[in-house]
Amino acid sequence: MSDQKISVAVSAAPTTAKHRVDPLAIIVRFQSLIGLVLVAIGGVIFSPRRHGEILFLDPDNIANIVRAVSETGIIAIGMTFVIITAGIDLSVGAVLGLSAVVTATMMISGGFGLIATILAVLVMGTVFGIVQGTISTRFRLEPFIVTLAGLQAARGLALVVSGNQYINISYGDGPGLAPPVFAVLGERLFDNTVPVATIVFIIFAAIATVVLNTTRFGRYVYAVGGNERAARISGVPVSMVKISVYAITGFASALAGIVHAGQFNFGSANDGMGYELTAIAAVVIGGTSLFGGAGSMVGTVAGTIMLGALANILQLNNITPAMQLLATAAIIVLAAVLQSLVRRREGLGR
Amino acid sequence: MSAPLLSVTGAVKRFGGVQALRGVDFDLKAGEIHALLGENGAGKSTLMNLLSGVYTPDEGEIRIDGKQVHFNNPREAQAAGIATIFQELDLVPSLDVAANLFLGRELMRPGGMLDVPAMRREARQRLEAIELAIDPARLVADLSIGQRQVVAIVKALSYASRVLIMDEPTAALTVSEVERLFAIMRKLAATGVGIVYISHRLEEVPDIADRVTVMRDGRVAGITEPHAPQAELVRLLVGRPLDELYPERAKSAGKTLLSLKNASFRLARESAGWQPPDDISLEVREGEIVGLAGIMGAGRTELLSALYGTGLAGRWQGEVAVDGRPVKLESIHAARKAGIAFVTDDRRGSGLMLRMAVGLNLVMSVIRRISPAGLMSPRRQAEAVRQSFGQFDIRPKNPDIAVGALSGGNQQKVVLAKEILGNPRLLLLDEPTRGVDVGAKGEIYARLRALAAQGLGILVASSEMPELIGLCDRIVVLRQGRNVAEFIGGVDEHTVLAAANGREA
Repeated sequence: MSDQKISVAVSAAPTTAKHRVDPLAIIVRFQSLIGLVLVAIGGVIFSPRRHGEILFLDPDNIANIVRAVSETGIIAIGMTFVIITAGIDLSVGAVLGLSAVVTATMMISGGFGLIATILAVLVMGTVFGIVQGTISTRFRLEPFIVTLAGLQAARGLALVVSGNQYINISYGDGPGLAPPVFAVLGERLFDNTVPVATIVFIIFAAIATVVLNTTRFGRYVYAVGGNERAARISGVPVSMVKISVYAITGFASALAGIVHAGQFNFGSANDGMGYELTAIAAVVIGGTSLFGGAGSMVGTVAGTIMLGALANILQLNNITPAMQLLATAAIIVLAAVLQSLVRRREGLGR
Repeated sequence: MSAPLLSVTGAVKRFGGVQALRGVDFDLKAGEIHALLGENGAGKSTLMNLLSGVYTPDEGEIRIDGKQVHFNNPREAQAAGIATIFQELDLVPSLDVAANLFLGRELMRPGGMLDVPAMRREARQRLEAIELAIDPARLVADLSIGQRQVVAIVKALSYASRVLIMDEPTAALTVSEVERLFAIMRKLAATGVGIVYISHRLEEVPDIADRVTVMRDGRVAGITEPHAPQAELVRLLVGRPLDELYPERAKSAGKTLLSLKNASFRLARESAGWQPPDDISLEVREGEIVGLAGIMGAGRTELLSALYGTGLAGRWQGEVAVDGRPVKLESIHAARKAGIAFVTDDRRGSGLMLRMAVGLNLVMSVIRRISPAGLMSPRRQAEAVRQSFGQFDIRPKNPDIAVGALSGGNQQKVVLAKEILGNPRLLLLDEPTRGVDVGAKGEIYARLRALAAQGLGILVASSEMPELIGLCDRIVVLRQGRNVAEFIGGVDEHTVLAAANGREA
């Protein structure tokens, strides 16, 4: 959903000529939503049944899907900002691991309270992103390299903090115990239907959508990805924008790390392994271009849920993880091919 | 003479409902340089693509030496002796000259190893055959645009040697590079090669062409002598007499807006052939259009960029004042604060976000103004877009399509409209009509003059001398980074050229 077309006030613009709408462009614009619907239909058709009930549609199963995707979803939302600027952040999974470890350590060994811990971890993630963004812009390094180094650094720090141990979180009142309220992250609200992790994901997604579509900063993000030099000449503070998007992924990764620790009641240096790739896949399936300048938050959310739903169907049918990987691969390629076709149709080259 | 080298009769080409060619006849003799003129959309690119095998005609036929031919792809056209040099040169910048010339047809040693010395030797011979001394071992990335152009010609001729089709080869060249290219073209023609020369630049036609075909609306509007009066060519091109391409000059100018006295700066990046400026003195007054003339490397682009706070290392030296007050133009931020706006010579590379909508591009320099408290206001955005469409006749009149899909002239109008939305006091323009057709040029000139009449000061650099002479109130000539002469508008072209080249007039 290309964003730019939505955010411009079409109605008020001086349109006289009727312009043709390319059906392919429409498909790409809504590709992740269409994909989500297709996967859902496939889920209903291929779902195993028990006593005539479709297991895929069972409220427990739905809750499981949206809970399972909430961590990568939070990360993918941050990643969308970065990718729209034509950047990439490979450090997100590692920062999640570091954040989970620090969360557990602060509460269990450090004796910090809930609020202090959460604030400290969020600040840590944000600062981590700011450092990466600053190094990348200051020394004109590819974000790929800087965040690859960031990934190693975050994993290394997590190992140091955790001593390569699982840090279990036990709840209670007193030293060495975490405040019981933290365990709510692993629970469900509203009559035991909606997972709390999912609520965090949805709120974060909503805020991000508003920021991207309606604020000056959001417009700057598109501008930097659309043409960095043109943005600079137009007076856009390009370096600030770039540093900010890495700050956002850092913040998102820390938030996901806190959710992770709360859901699983431990922190480990290996948490979030490979999440960066799942998040990038969700963003791309959501229609955001790796070339920058185009993309949408709604697409990312739909892409995230679609990947989760797909994995769920395959699991319900006892299909091997190997097949799941192949199915994901096929969908990523399909999404990329569709985008490439539209670019070529617009006469804008590869 | 018997049958012409190449002839096209009754060519028709449709794309969906659009008829791009409506029965075109065209012929080319051996040893002839035949200029093909036309505005954007006139059909000259389509015709060129038929000749080079990219498209096949729906009706009509193509003959070589009187024998009918059918090209299903560019390879077949090459095999028949037709070589095409497109605007985007098909060269690999990261490879050396010899490797580019032999790309896909590398000379090998027995055993499957590349025979690099043989390719370089051969490349040197071919380059020397047209009197071009380029080291075949140099990277294409290190060559000037003019040198690349010649390498592309040599490459094309090594595929096919009878017909050479050149699409706007001079668009990015400086005056002296154009002269060198023309010399090479004449030399090739003397050996019997027929050259189809496609261009926007009317003033080049008498210098190079033996014959001129003008296209309009998918038809041949006329075939004339190259020395036909320019007014006649313009009438054929646009289909009506265009009395005044250039608007009337200003009667008077206001107070001084920008003034440089003994100013200089250093470049952030070294660039070949460039000498750091010392002692630039010039001024631009309100309501005035001032031109910057000079050969490549004279520092036109560098001066404009530095006035916009980019591309310079450290600070400006000497006196730089806006409105009589000294300013430090060391950042884009500072320049914009002083009311300066800049339109680059590279609209695709640094002027526009090609994949984004026209409307979004237009408001790019006024995002702050249309986002009170940091929130984008759709109403203010639509107002700004409407204002731009009111000022410039941007076609299609639709702010929602990607700006990359517009023609060059319309893209240029978007870039200009974008900067004008910011209400600058001084507008810096670098090559404001590069790759823009005559109709759009006239509109841009009229618009600039109207803006100047409202008090805007304009400093414009251009390598098109007639443009500077026709448009500007005053022309400042730069040579080796300093201002060496100044003329009032309407001055004779040779006088300016002489000053730019450091010769006596």
